[in-house]
Amino acid sequence: MNPGAIVGAVVGAALIGGALVGVNNQVQAAQERLRTGITAVDQPKVAVADDAEADYCTPKFKEVLQRVLHACGLISGGRRGCKPADVQRLAAISDDEFNDLFAPLQERGGVIMFADGSDKLDDDGVKLVDELWEDRRGARYFFVVARASKTGTRKFNQALSHRRANSVKFRIEDHFKEPDLEKKMGLMWLGYDFAQLGTDYCKWNVSKPGKGCNAQAINRSAFVSWVDCRL
Amino acid sequence: MGKQKARWAAAIALCGALLGLVFSAYSTVDYVAHLDRQLHDVRCSFIPGAAAAEAAENACRTALYSAYSAVLRDRIWGGIPISLFANGAFAFFIAFAAYLLVSGNRAPRRGSQFLALAGCTPLVVSIGMAIISWVELGSFCKTCVGTYVASLLVAVGGALGWWLERQAARRGPDPARPDADDGGPASAQTPQKLGPASLILTWFALLGLFAVAPALLYHETVPSYAKRVKGCGTLDSAADPKKALIHFSSAGATQPVFMVVDPLCATCGVFHQRLMVEGIFEQLDTTLVLFPLDSECNWNLTTPLHPGACVVSEAVICGEERALQVLEWGYEEHERLLAAGKAKGGDKRVLAMVEARWPALKGCIGDQQTKKKLDEMIRFAVTNKLPVATPQFFVGTTRLCDEDSDIGLPYALRKLAPALARR
Repeated sequence: MNPGAIVGAVVGAALIGGALVGVNNQVQAAQERLRTGITAVDQPKVAVADDAEADYCTPKFKEVLQRVLHACGLISGGRRGCKPADVQRLAAISDDEFNDLFAPLQERGGVIMFADGSDKLDDDGVKLVDELWEDRRGARYFFVVARASKTGTRKFNQALSHRRANSVKFRIEDHFKEPDLEKKMGLMWLGYDFAQLGTDYCKWNVSKPGKGCNAQAINRSAFVSWVDCRL
Repeated sequence: MGKQKARWAAAIALCGALLGLVFSAYSTVDYVAHLDRQLHDVRCSFIPGAAAAEAAENACRTALYSAYSAVLRDRIWGGIPISLFANGAFAFFIAFAAYLLVSGNRAPRRGSQFLALAGCTPLVVSIGMAIISWVELGSFCKTCVGTYVASLLVAVGGALGWWLERQAARRGPDPARPDADDGGPASAQTPQKLGPASLILTWFALLGLFAVAPALLYHETVPSYAKRVKGCGTLDSAADPKKALIHFSSAGATQPVFMVVDPLCATCGVFHQRLMVEGIFEQLDTTLVLFPLDSECNWNLTTPLHPGACVVSEAVICGEERALQVLEWGYEEHERLLAAGKAKGGDKRVLAMVEARWPALKGCIGDQQTKKKLDEMIRFAVTNKLPVATPQFFVGTTRLCDEDSDIGLPYALRKLAPALARR
């Protein structure tokens, strides 16, 4: 017999046999990994998209905001906003400490200034509210902290600061038709009872820059800002 | 017939077939490894079996995931890789070339004729695949090129052997040069026989058997994925109240999908190209969510993975009715754009490149409204708690699992969207 035929037959049989065994083993190995979930190569864990978390989101800052958000109805639902006594009690910190928490928002937020005794947003105020609202980026919550100066009674000023906070809210509600606004906006009105602003806030992004900002005027205001924290 | 020359021809065919078997075996191993629905490295080198390529987006991966790497891909998860057919065929050619090499003058002349004929088949297939690589995939995979070269060697060996056999047949036996080197003294005086024509048919049948045997075994042993392909989660809220998402669909598109992409992500480009090549994209009613992996605009990253992607994303938004063209341009130019993005003043450089190509978009990129739309797209990912990764593909609102987005794509799409017909 031709030895070439024998060689060819043996080589052919060996190769096709080897190919079949190899394919079978490879498929079985893959099937086993598929069944057991054992990975051939470790895969890195992938993060899940979330709200922004800026450097200023210190544990203390988040703790205070968290308490306020819960108590003032943003997270758990229920009543809207927090009045001065609530804020003071919930924050459980001094006036200065409260203001210091918001200091990192100097670049992010703005101070909407109102006329004496007024809760009406003027054109400059509207413009700044709109700009700040539109510059949301990755933020989850929008805070409005309204105040009043020490002119008049405590009760009058508490009501006035409440109306100022609402003026900002109504502007956004009416103009932007934002869905689920209630879940995004945190309102606080402080009257003149708690955390009055000092004149150094006149240097912040105010709606009336260079127009007679003093210790009284800076508190006839609503501080507004998106907060880039995961609360 | 010059016996040494004829043996050289068989040896060339043998070398080609050996090389082809090695390259096709590596391709098969790479392909079969993916049956576990995990991501694997892909060997991609002219040196058979050299270390797997680090970069995920290489030409071999493109070829591996392409519609041309397997058959029955919409019926079997991953399909049946064509490299399996090559395995069997090259195994046969090795055996046959070894037979001719050892037999020398004892082999019938039909053997040379058969090798010349059958040896062309891998070359014909290789030429077809090379054209597809060039025209459809736009790249050549090194392992594939290795197989093309192997096919060429088999064809050359076969053709040379036949030519030498024809020459020898014309000359007739050479009494002055008795051949004692080709299988023993018996053959020295015996002229090479022609052999019956049925031999050629028999060998072709054997070649066919060798070629399909591994594929048949694979078909019988491949795991069932029918219950595994169910999708990986759903969109919590597909609503787009601010009309920020981009929409495009062809006439007759039936299947609503969401695609979460980064215009500078190479994998997104490859995925997009696959949908195009497989004829799927034209059937999709697509909602595009841009999710640039660039910390310049995406707060989910602390450092930019794809610097410049925010600028290009804004360009896609500004493109409006030409958004798809701008996106595809981003995919095509992603390497240049990324290089520009990584250089000093990256975003400005990228912006200059975008505006040079799309001058009509000047003024729109960087505009507050454009940025707001992009923010809304990223917020869409936040609302739906999507992974910080691209691409992501949702059939309706069901997310296609990453592990089904490579070789299992046609099968998974057929399961998740039965209405999607393959072209």
